[in-house]
Amino acid sequence: MNRRMLAALAVVTLALPPLLPERHLATYVLLGLAATVTAGVSMLMGYAGQVSLGQAAFYAIGGYAAGLLTVHGVPTVAGLLAAPVVAALAAVLLGAPLLRLRGHHLAFATLALQLILLSLLGQGDWAGGAIGLQGIPQLPVGGDLGYAYLIWVVLAVVLVICRNVVASRAGRGLRASATSEIAAAANGVAIARYRLAVFALSAAFAGLAGGIYAFYLGYLAPGSFPILLSIEFVVMAVVGGIGTIAGPVVGATVIVLLVQALNTLGTQPGMPGYAPSVLSYAVYALLLVATVLYLPRGIVPAVLDGARVRRGRPSIWGK
Amino acid sequence: MTAGAALTVSGVSRAFGGVYAVRDVGLSVAPGELRAVIGPNGAGKSTLFALIGGQLAPDAGTVHLDDQRIDRLPAHRRARLGIGVVFQAARVFPGMTALENVMVGAHATTRAGFTAAALRLPAHRREEREIRDRAAECLHRTGIEDWADRPAEELPLGQQRALQLARALCGRPRLLLLDEPASGLRAAERDRLATLIEDLRGSGLTILLVEHDVAFVMRLADRVTVLDLGRTIADGTAAEVRADPRVVTAYLGTGVPA
Repeated sequence: MNRRMLAALAVVTLALPPLLPERHLATYVLLGLAATVTAGVSMLMGYAGQVSLGQAAFYAIGGYAAGLLTVHGVPTVAGLLAAPVVAALAAVLLGAPLLRLRGHHLAFATLALQLILLSLLGQGDWAGGAIGLQGIPQLPVGGDLGYAYLIWVVLAVVLVICRNVVASRAGRGLRASATSEIAAAANGVAIARYRLAVFALSAAFAGLAGGIYAFYLGYLAPGSFPILLSIEFVVMAVVGGIGTIAGPVVGATVIVLLVQALNTLGTQPGMPGYAPSVLSYAVYALLLVATVLYLPRGIVPAVLDGARVRRGRPSIWGK
Repeated sequence: MTAGAALTVSGVSRAFGGVYAVRDVGLSVAPGELRAVIGPNGAGKSTLFALIGGQLAPDAGTVHLDDQRIDRLPAHRRARLGIGVVFQAARVFPGMTALENVMVGAHATTRAGFTAAALRLPAHRREEREIRDRAAECLHRTGIEDWADRPAEELPLGQQRALQLARALCGRPRLLLLDEPASGLRAAERDRLATLIEDLRGSGLTILLVEHDVAFVMRLADRVTVLDLGRTIADGTAAEVRADPRVVTAYLGTGVPA
């Protein structure tokens, strides 16, 4: 992906919000939030070789951190800044013992974390219980249009951070340990610490998105963070292309737009009441199967490979 | 540990499933020395290598680098203390260019972390430049600078070996461990490697060379340690070892030593 294409895409993306009807503006915001979370999932899967099946838990932790703090009088900006920090701390506490282990321990632990968190939030009066946390103040961004720009600026910053990390000493250490742990360690790469850092970074992205989500909606409920949401982030990462910078945006866009289309279809008159949810489940499944079968590395690497026959120098957009 | 030695291995044992791969092995390598460890297949050479490099921990015994005990430290800590490793298998990092592979080697002596990288702090940029320059220099030194921008897995075996060596050198080691660096190389490559190793020793680097190829070793090593069935059976100069009857029977067979 060259600079001109990137600039064109950015211009289109930024020109879009004022033209969108309110209903679609909400989709635009949620898409930006999803892409931000997915950027972290993609880093985690692509560079730490770990899957998080509970990334929505960090999304929720960020949301509730921001929501609870501001409901109790903390300024909104401070609440927003606290969201990624609290989520990252939670990730460090959970990840420190788990990342030393191999395999899918982290996947199960994150899944368990989310289930525990959901039941805690559902029971806890301090968090509004099952009804949810009401009356979260607004960020001073000037309405929905402001949120649309805020989240896409945040997404841009997150993608720049990803790119910077990947193309750095730490990124090289991670990429090296993804292919040979023995050789990476022999070269001084502290693999467990690096993986923990990526996990914390991915949680921080999710927490930040969760914080914005809390202010944007103005209320939070455990039901907003189902396990399916976590699965959705993983599917977005896989479909877009794991370990690529542009992949999360592409994956999130494809999934969100498809789900929207199917929702519209499912809520047509004459459709049974369960149609929307069945359709969206079916789409995740079909997309995942189709991606794994036909584009095992995801959309972005496939497109890049088609455009640019390998020339020695790997593009950070594709790698 | 032996006073003044760069590397001291003492009483080291390691068993796998009740069978000793290395049993009560000791050796001490002086600073700037080129020590070879030889022995027939299954003698325990690669196990000893891994015990020093940190890929394995010993069941008993100690390993000291200078006067610091390292046998319980994980491999990445040992790398930071100045141990550079070249594995026998071509353990390059596929999907990364040769230059990037060598840049990974600089990990042991550089510091920039995630925060500095994410924010592109000036200190990080300075360090990146330094790492890149150093890596390019190491590629040049090992004679593979023409491959710098190629994906590592595309390099021929000889160049992959050189790449590993360049990567180890990029960490500016005090002690360089080489595991059968000459195996699988053609004669010309072997000569070039020998010249390079001599050159490295000439620059004051302490080198431990684990090797199956006796001719290659005898030409290079200051001293030779001979292992057989996990034990040390001889230790001395190339000439002494060659004349040792135990070595002749255990390793070189009854024929004329190479």
